[in-house]
Amino acid sequence: MADLAPAELTDPAGASEISGAAPGDGSAGPLPLGLRGPLARARALLATHPVVDGCNGLPWSLRRRTGHDPTPGHRFDLDHGETGVRTDIPRLRAGGIGGQFWSLQVPAELTGEAAVTATLEQIDFVHALIRTYPGALHLALSADDLTEARDHGRIASLLGSAAGHAIDSSLGVLRSFYRLGVRSLSLTAGRSTPWADSATDEPRAGGLTVFGEEVVREMNRLGMLIDLTWCSADTMRHTLEITRSPVLWCHTAARAVCAHPRNVPDEVLSLLPRNGGVCMVTFTPEHLTRGSGPASVQDIADHLDHIRAVAGPDHVGLGAGFDTDPATAHRSPVPDVAGYPLLLAELIDRGWSFRDLAGLTWGNALRAVRGAECAARAARGRRAPSTATIERLDGERA
Amino acid sequence: MSASLDAAKELLARWPVVDGHNDLPWALREQVRYDLDRRDIAGDQSAHLHTDLPRLRAGGVGAQFWSVYVRAEYAGDHAVSATLEQIDVVRQLVGRYPGDLRLALTSGDMEAARAERRIASLMGAEGGHSINNSLATLRALHRLGVRYMTLTHNNSLDWADSATDEPKAGGLSRFGEEVVREMNRLGMLVDLSHVAAETMRDALRVTRAPVIFSHSSARAVCDHPRNIPDDVLERLPANGGIAMATFVPKFVLPAAVEWTQRADENMRAHGLHHLDTSEGGMTVQRAFEAAHPRPVATAATVADHLDHMRDVAGIDHLGIGGDFDGTAFTPSDLADVAGYPQLIAELLDRKWSTADLAKLTWQNAVRTLRIAEDVAREEQARRGPSNATLEELDG
Repeated sequence: MADLAPAELTDPAGASEISGAAPGDGSAGPLPLGLRGPLARARALLATHPVVDGCNGLPWSLRRRTGHDPTPGHRFDLDHGETGVRTDIPRLRAGGIGGQFWSLQVPAELTGEAAVTATLEQIDFVHALIRTYPGALHLALSADDLTEARDHGRIASLLGSAAGHAIDSSLGVLRSFYRLGVRSLSLTAGRSTPWADSATDEPRAGGLTVFGEEVVREMNRLGMLIDLTWCSADTMRHTLEITRSPVLWCHTAARAVCAHPRNVPDEVLSLLPRNGGVCMVTFTPEHLTRGSGPASVQDIADHLDHIRAVAGPDHVGLGAGFDTDPATAHRSPVPDVAGYPLLLAELIDRGWSFRDLAGLTWGNALRAVRGAECAARAARGRRAPSTATIERLDGERA
Repeated sequence: MSASLDAAKELLARWPVVDGHNDLPWALREQVRYDLDRRDIAGDQSAHLHTDLPRLRAGGVGAQFWSVYVRAEYAGDHAVSATLEQIDVVRQLVGRYPGDLRLALTSGDMEAARAERRIASLMGAEGGHSINNSLATLRALHRLGVRYMTLTHNNSLDWADSATDEPKAGGLSRFGEEVVREMNRLGMLVDLSHVAAETMRDALRVTRAPVIFSHSSARAVCDHPRNIPDDVLERLPANGGIAMATFVPKFVLPAAVEWTQRADENMRAHGLHHLDTSEGGMTVQRAFEAAHPRPVATAATVADHLDHMRDVAGIDHLGIGGDFDGTAFTPSDLADVAGYPQLIAELLDRKWSTADLAKLTWQNAVRTLRIAEDVAREEQARRGPSNATLEELDG
């Protein structure tokens, strides 16, 4: 899938200097940015190649804060700044966010239809947010929607990742989620699903069960991105063996830099060029430094440097995970969604090229979404919706 | 009769049947776990099902509300998941047979399907257990295409009483009323089949949109709790809704009601659940049937209901909801979805006019959905989505 890189990824001037040219517009030459500081250059880059962030936990965070009434405008208003959370529209704008995967994760303790219902409520809530702030947010169901939102100065809002356990081991539920707009699903969360092993739970399947493989194939057919965040290394490898579309990690880090079990090992990262997927790096301190003191912007950059070196610059992205974990929020190196330019300034200081930065923020995620769409079109010509059940494929163990 | 049958078919070619309730999705789930290759409805499936495309065509069906029913016993475990699976299979059917079926989300889609001579495929959920007390889940069902919800199935919910269970809510609870209001706002029809008479009256008091009875007949003709009392039928003109007469013999034929009661008692006397379809259960049932011949309903039985319902509710408030593939027995001459012309012929013989029959088969149902859409637009201008909870409203 690496050959699907859109034209706009190429630096029109062929230089490593950050250009102010509009994407794909070769006529405008590089702006004289050389004399400006790295932060100004970061902002210039974000104007044309805004961040597509893989994970923001605002939906659950607001649900927790507002209890039974998560109606936008009732107890919070994202338009005017919202101090209790780390995400609101002014700060998304300041941070240069052009696309956001809104997390649909629900607690692992919820099982059966409780998990399904909670996810449907989260989906409904994200749709309500998008409807409530039409000047800022734009529902994105496809790669074209992402670019259209950017071209209209709106933040493309993608639904995902939903939690694997929330499909209640049913491909019909999976397809329903897709129809409701969900575009990524994590195969596991902190606990294993009946069909895929989590990094932080006892291995049961040794990766994916037979039904787990069918979930992957059905996601390929739908064009729903497979999110390997939280999965065991075996599940990652197993999935990469069979998937025909790009995978992603919506918020993770490099295990070689920080030995957290949830982080991605190098040998998995090295499989990404062939797959075309993107590993999106979290800002969560626990995954950056394993809790050894507060993390810094340099720590995030270290992970990005490492993943760029191992997987290549086309396979690294950002998935900060704002508002996913209030407990560690105060230790985060980036206080809120306005902070992405700080990180990009650090990378500019480290000599990242325009091309690599534009891929990191925008191009790589866009290519993964588009790659999943292309793979889906091909798969739909080959196979009908799967009617497999976990009972039939995995037998009594399920 | 043959001349009437020809006239009936001619009429249906112009004004096809909108049927309120067909349980093909559940039959596909139970028989083949949705393996559509094993029940290819493009061909004759009469050995397994009441429904297939050739017979829908022969029956003059122009629009079908496919029931996305799931067992109330799934509540608290897999009711929502199973409902999503039921919706999924309807969408698969529509995708698989695009020459015959067309997904219909609006009254406009129904008319477009009729113009293309395709069967408008709508969906109805059967029982509030499918939303797990969550209005966001109700909205998800709507977004996935569900256009009516029967408030209960055979079991009472915390917020709505069923006709065939002990009352819990005394009709509709406050949350139940909020469910009705949210359905009004969405443009999802409130279906009052299966609910207790008190629930019918409460819903008619609260709703601003027309209601439907997707598959219920007249209690004055056959005194069964699944049927509609006259005082409720009388309120339909003011509400604008429709009662879609069902064909299920044990609801429409008094002798069959009595026979079913005795058969059920016989099952229980043998220590079996009355719906037990295991080999042991079927043996007991067959022995009972051998000793006590099952009373047989006909199209005339259904027509008796429609005559009465027309007298009480008026011609603008009637429809048809056969419940095919949701009932073990059918009237002898309405044995499957090819049977509707028999009923129309019977009504022609009873001097129903062509104009009246066009209302019965097609126009009333389309009008009902259209008005519900109009009400939804008004409601959406007045109020946003409700996130009320059962705990909050009912304590």
